[in-house]
Amino acid sequence: MSDVTDLPAPQGDPTEGPAIAVRGLGKRFGDLIAVKGIDLDVPRGSFFGLVGPNGAGKTTTLSMVTGLLRPDAGQAFVLGRDVWADPVATKRLLGVLPDGLKVFDRLTGLQLITYAGLLRGMSRELATERAAELVAALGLTEAQGKLVVDYSAGMTKKVTLASALVHGPRVLVLDEPFEAVDPISAATIRRILSGFVESGGTVVLSSHVMDLVERICTHVAVISDGLVLAAGRLEDVRGDRSLEERFVDLVGGSTEVVGLSWLRTSSG
Amino acid sequence: MVAHLVRLKLTLLRNIFRRSRAQAIGAVVGIVYFAVLVAGLAVILASFRQSLDAARVVIPLAGAAGIVLWTVVPLFSFGSDPTLDPGRFATFAVPHRDLTIGLVAAALVGLPAIASMVLSAGVVVAWSHTFGSTVVAVVATAIGLLTAITTSRWVSAVMTQAISSRRGRDVIAVLGLLLLVIIGPAISVVANLGASLRDVATEAAAVVGWSPLGWAWAAPGDVAAGDLGTGLVRLALAAGLLVVVFLLWSRVLRDEVDNPRAVSRSDSGTSSGDDLGLLARLPGTPLGAIAARVLTYWRRDPRYQISMVMTPVVPLALLIPFVTGDVAWTPLLMGPLVAFLLGWSEHNAVAYESDALWLHVVSGTSGRDDRRGRLLPALLLATVLVPLYVVVGVAVPDRWDLLPPALGLSVSLLGAGYAVSSVMSVVLPYPVAESGESPFNAPPGAAGITIAAQSMASLGTLLLASPTILLAWWAWQGSVGAGWGAGIVGVLLGIVVGIVGVGVGARLYEQRAPELLSALRRS
Repeated sequence: MSDVTDLPAPQGDPTEGPAIAVRGLGKRFGDLIAVKGIDLDVPRGSFFGLVGPNGAGKTTTLSMVTGLLRPDAGQAFVLGRDVWADPVATKRLLGVLPDGLKVFDRLTGLQLITYAGLLRGMSRELATERAAELVAALGLTEAQGKLVVDYSAGMTKKVTLASALVHGPRVLVLDEPFEAVDPISAATIRRILSGFVESGGTVVLSSHVMDLVERICTHVAVISDGLVLAAGRLEDVRGDRSLEERFVDLVGGSTEVVGLSWLRTSSG
Repeated sequence: MVAHLVRLKLTLLRNIFRRSRAQAIGAVVGIVYFAVLVAGLAVILASFRQSLDAARVVIPLAGAAGIVLWTVVPLFSFGSDPTLDPGRFATFAVPHRDLTIGLVAAALVGLPAIASMVLSAGVVVAWSHTFGSTVVAVVATAIGLLTAITTSRWVSAVMTQAISSRRGRDVIAVLGLLLLVIIGPAISVVANLGASLRDVATEAAAVVGWSPLGWAWAAPGDVAAGDLGTGLVRLALAAGLLVVVFLLWSRVLRDEVDNPRAVSRSDSGTSSGDDLGLLARLPGTPLGAIAARVLTYWRRDPRYQISMVMTPVVPLALLIPFVTGDVAWTPLLMGPLVAFLLGWSEHNAVAYESDALWLHVVSGTSGRDDRRGRLLPALLLATVLVPLYVVVGVAVPDRWDLLPPALGLSVSLLGAGYAVSSVMSVVLPYPVAESGESPFNAPPGAAGITIAAQSMASLGTLLLASPTILLAWWAWQGSVGAGWGAGIVGVLLGIVVGIVGVGVGARLYEQRAPELLSALRRS
């Protein structure tokens, strides 16, 4: 984190500078310091992967950037606007897919997407039209009249993603968007996101599947124990090795299995 | 294993204080409030030591009431405790006997059980006339307490099994109605008692003392009065009852662990295809969308259905004393009661949605839209129910002169209820059964804060409406001027308090939305 510490806060012109800028962002939960003063720039038009082991602080960081969790220290900017000083303007620019939060699951899939659109202040005609398009694009047409509570985990993920897209955000922040999603849907989602980036949008996603991040992201940041260990263009971060090797190297964990001899059934 | 379960329960109790600060304070306030109440009651019970005759009337009745409360209250108010939900132990190979004993032991460390133990100590003191009576009192009170707790476990296990099926839910709705039908005549009987209260209580105590509910509580009294034989017979009967209840509990437990129930899901109200339901019918604004979503939830979520059924039905119980007895005044309160329930029942509305609230937060929904959208459905319901119940309530006893105060009081209570609910659902959300769980399940360790928050909401509502309550009381005493005063002041007060309260709630929501979300994200 040391090499980005001295960056100035990107105030002012929202048409220049990084899509998301994080300055000294920190959060503690009681005795646990989940995020230890992170600095991070997400360049405009990038496909940004946030990787890290379980409990590294990915979700906490993304929650603070999207206005879901108030930081204890630091600031976050989306297209030059301070998330916590000007939440209404920032939230209009953002599309958010959180991980591990419930949705209004007694609505049908189509109703949920429309509801998200209406909450954003869209007209009903526009919200309905886009909801129908999203349902078709994500392959949910069959299930659009079913209650979300009866959806599988992957379908819930897809319908939540659609709710994040419906208002046409400029920056997408997606926490584990591919978890529990089947390969065909994952390919669809990838295509949608790539199209979004090509047309000038910015995508930030978190994952712990290195292969996936390596395949689709242009930029990557490695977070561990509440700190940014490395950040930048994918090629720069991984060097001449695979991202997974570099990740294990950075995080410093050992992949050796200690003990568990009793689990090898051939001995018994 | 038994120790494990008790330790699990202790940890859950301690975790009450590990939520947000506001909730911890709420929990402490609730606990202190009830500790004082319970201690006071225990002292009163202990003071019956001075009069054995009075004690032999009061304690069996109180003890029997205690057993009934242990059985009934957890089901309707804060639900069976899911830490002790047998279904959750299905995947662990816990010996059946350990689980049977362990779950009862764990129930003993809950706050309600501790309160009961304190009260029981008061009972033992009241019986401590001779050495013999003290010993019997200790044994009998322990048996009574264990019977209460085991019965409570047994009934809630049976009920959770029943509630998983749609038919079971219907059965419970019928049982609930039956209970209401019983409450009505009970009120009218008590209201008619007057001077003969003492005689009736004495007779009732004699009957209850020989019923299963009273065996354990009456036995020490016999011994203290010198009738050792009768006392021992009752003690033996009480012990036998405990064994029977324990066996019943054990059998239900075996069923549940062998066939853990599936999470109950409502499969009703699935609209087909591209129908947007109410979202297409209310205004296409954030406010309209929120109101449409809340209305949709009322139809599809069993947790709302229960309160939807109860709210219009409960005030009808006030008609029963009028029909059965000569009590003319109770129907007058129908309008105010339904108004109170409609406003008050929204005081924890956000908690029912749990952390799905994130969608409102990331959308930057304004506090005004959020608060008003949520209250709009209840307001729509109120515009139908409140005038209807006010008019019926005045028409039945033919007291049209009291129409203005009844209406004023209703509007005041409604407005005050909305005001309190708008603020409290932001500041002090407390855990409720999650979507898809049985509506009678309550999260562990939430009983204290549930009662505290509910009392606070009630007191707050009554306090805000107190000017109208005073005027209405005056009108009831015969003042015509106060009647019109209560009508005019009540309606104005209700509207103003309601608007101001919703405004304050909206401001608080905008300031605290992320904190509210964190409070809702309990593990």
